[in-house]
Amino acid sequence: MTAVAPRPTEQARRSLRTEALEARPVNLDGFVEEWPEKGLVAMESDFDPQPSVRVADGVITELDGRARADFDFMDSFIADHAIDVATTEASMALPSVQIARMLIDPGVSRAEVIAVTRGLTPAKVLDVVKLMNVVEIMQGMQKMRARRTPANQAHSTSARDNPLQVAVDAAEGALRGFAELETTLGVVRYAPLVAIALQVGGQVGRGGVLTQCALEEATELELGMRGITAYAETISIYGTESVFVDGDDTPWSKTFLASAYASRGIKMRFTSGTGSEVQMGNAEGRSMLYLEIRCILMAKGAGVQGLQNGSISCIGVPGAVPGGIRAVAAENLVASMMDLECASGNDQSFSHSAMRRTARMLPQLLPGTDFVCSGYSAVPNSDNMFAGSNFDTDDYDDWNTIQRDLQVDGGLRHVREPEVLAVRAKAARVLQALFEHLELPRITDEEVEAATYANSSNDYPFRDVLADLTGAQQVMDRGVTGLDLVRGLEATGFHDVAENLLTVLRQRVSGDLLQTAAVLTADFTPLSAINDANDYAGPGTGYRLQGERWEELKKLRHVTSATDPETEVD
Amino acid sequence: MTTLDAPAERTLTLRETGPATRGTRPDEVVIAVSPAFGDPFTQTIVGVPHAEVLRQLMAGIEEQGVGVRVVRVWGTADLAAVSHIAARLSGSGVSVGLLSRGTAMIHQKDLPRLSNLELFPQSPLLDAPVFRAIGSNAAQYAKGQSPQPVPTRNDQMARPRWQAKAALLHLKEFECIRADAGPVELEVTISR
Repeated sequence: MTAVAPRPTEQARRSLRTEALEARPVNLDGFVEEWPEKGLVAMESDFDPQPSVRVADGVITELDGRARADFDFMDSFIADHAIDVATTEASMALPSVQIARMLIDPGVSRAEVIAVTRGLTPAKVLDVVKLMNVVEIMQGMQKMRARRTPANQAHSTSARDNPLQVAVDAAEGALRGFAELETTLGVVRYAPLVAIALQVGGQVGRGGVLTQCALEEATELELGMRGITAYAETISIYGTESVFVDGDDTPWSKTFLASAYASRGIKMRFTSGTGSEVQMGNAEGRSMLYLEIRCILMAKGAGVQGLQNGSISCIGVPGAVPGGIRAVAAENLVASMMDLECASGNDQSFSHSAMRRTARMLPQLLPGTDFVCSGYSAVPNSDNMFAGSNFDTDDYDDWNTIQRDLQVDGGLRHVREPEVLAVRAKAARVLQALFEHLELPRITDEEVEAATYANSSNDYPFRDVLADLTGAQQVMDRGVTGLDLVRGLEATGFHDVAENLLTVLRQRVSGDLLQTAAVLTADFTPLSAINDANDYAGPGTGYRLQGERWEELKKLRHVTSATDPETEVD
Repeated sequence: MTTLDAPAERTLTLRETGPATRGTRPDEVVIAVSPAFGDPFTQTIVGVPHAEVLRQLMAGIEEQGVGVRVVRVWGTADLAAVSHIAARLSGSGVSVGLLSRGTAMIHQKDLPRLSNLELFPQSPLLDAPVFRAIGSNAAQYAKGQSPQPVPTRNDQMARPRWQAKAALLHLKEFECIRADAGPVELEVTISR
């Protein structure tokens, strides 16, 4: 029998200062004590295995203290596909401190580091990064990031799944500098219309922007194969066998999916992050970072070009334990030191405190990553169907100011209002014409006008949702492809947008976007680790924010003119 | 973020009366609580007392003229499993499953285990009126009606505030599982 009596509550007198502190937003965040036995610990746990490797006849027979006979499927996959058997014994023989120093030593090239890291086991990688504080992790990231030029990625979604909102916010986001845009849905059946809107809106804002739509895996693949999306990112992997199996998946099934994308020349990356296993109650007693390192090696073994990590949707878990944000910075570094593209998180609501939100992203912004945010909300967070981002449209001016203050390139820029209005209006008109051409539910002039000046989904007239859903189903039934969109754009007089979209689609024939960390520039040059390799080698080298790009980032909404202090710089 | 009025303080007593059996009344809903409900846990993730949760659920069911039984599932803390076990014990085939942190589900015995009639995944957003509405809807399903689903809420700041605590509560609840024990009937007493 159980009996629960009410707990007595004592009201002791509190100081006025305590009351002021209690009212601070940071105290709305959740914090918990560590529980290492259950894996509720960031990266320092006595329950993680010790590094070890044994090789016999070209096969790894022992991995981190476990003999091959006792391997779970993660161990098997990593041993057979991720770790370089030829070099592993030599790499593992190096003291961890030596590898950690190589990571931050400007005299050691990125290629020399990778020659070592390709032979490391998960426990050894953990042992290395545990030696590094956040500044050293950032130094490592500055050198190990795959692409020389950093970039940023945005979410463009709508609380009402309004395709028009997604299109115009994609256009504005692309104009502001995002190299990739992704969307997802509240009502999944809306996906075909919203994915088309994202693709088309993005190409209006800036030709060459890449788009994806996060959905259940089969539909996501189908939209990619049809050319309605340009890349895929939401293919989740996990660090324990039990969590993997819970999702009816294995490393092999995920690898098969990855190869389906590659077969059509479609860029894709996996997604993982600290905290997911303990969140699902199956961390098998390992630290969050140890399990994430297993994911990173699994991704490498699968042959995908990149990974979205940085805790992602579980950020509330590492964010709540001591050293958790250091572990998140470390997992980004590990992805980069395994020679993968790293789309480094900062993409889910993280804190009530603006100060804490900013501090959380500095380890990615300051050194630069392949995508500093793997989903900066290019719509107000109230419209963010990924459940909110660490940054949204309200933060644009703050972000631009921080870039200018610290002279770092976070991938965005200030754009004057007339230019913003022009691309929003154009994106709305293009989608209006394309929907009409494809005999999809009508977009009215009133909607176009509203979209041009809107902030959130509340600023748009209501759409006929049932008609939209019927239209969305028709897109699937009629087998509409990216090429149909190009034809429709051309037929309705938007030759430039048609040309942009066609050029993006042609990339899947050349396969250039399959290279590590590939993005397309405004003149459609693929920029990847092949032709824009990170060559950082200490002060004065690597990517530097200078020249034309720096002049661009000096601009803000309000800057007093030095020539005429009674006016502002245009 | 949900603001909760301080509910009246009540004492909840859950007395085991024996193994849970399949009901014969076609007009009953079975509520199943998870292993740690009431003991060692006493309230949901946002502090709604378990006494209040059960009181509201039971009242919501009884207001529809439907009977209610309460059982405890010992063998699992998986909400879908807890709810489905209860649905199979229910004379009407309809159940409400409850985890200690407040996460709830309305289930029906003929549905696949991983499906449900209604799911309330965001435990921090469930307060007393929502639990009453869940009870009411479950009872209406039991009567063969098709009620409007209880409106679901969404709060993007629930993650930073509650995600880690939810993980901790989940781990603790798992420790209370008795793998070899079957579901038991509970006699519920709620008093001031």
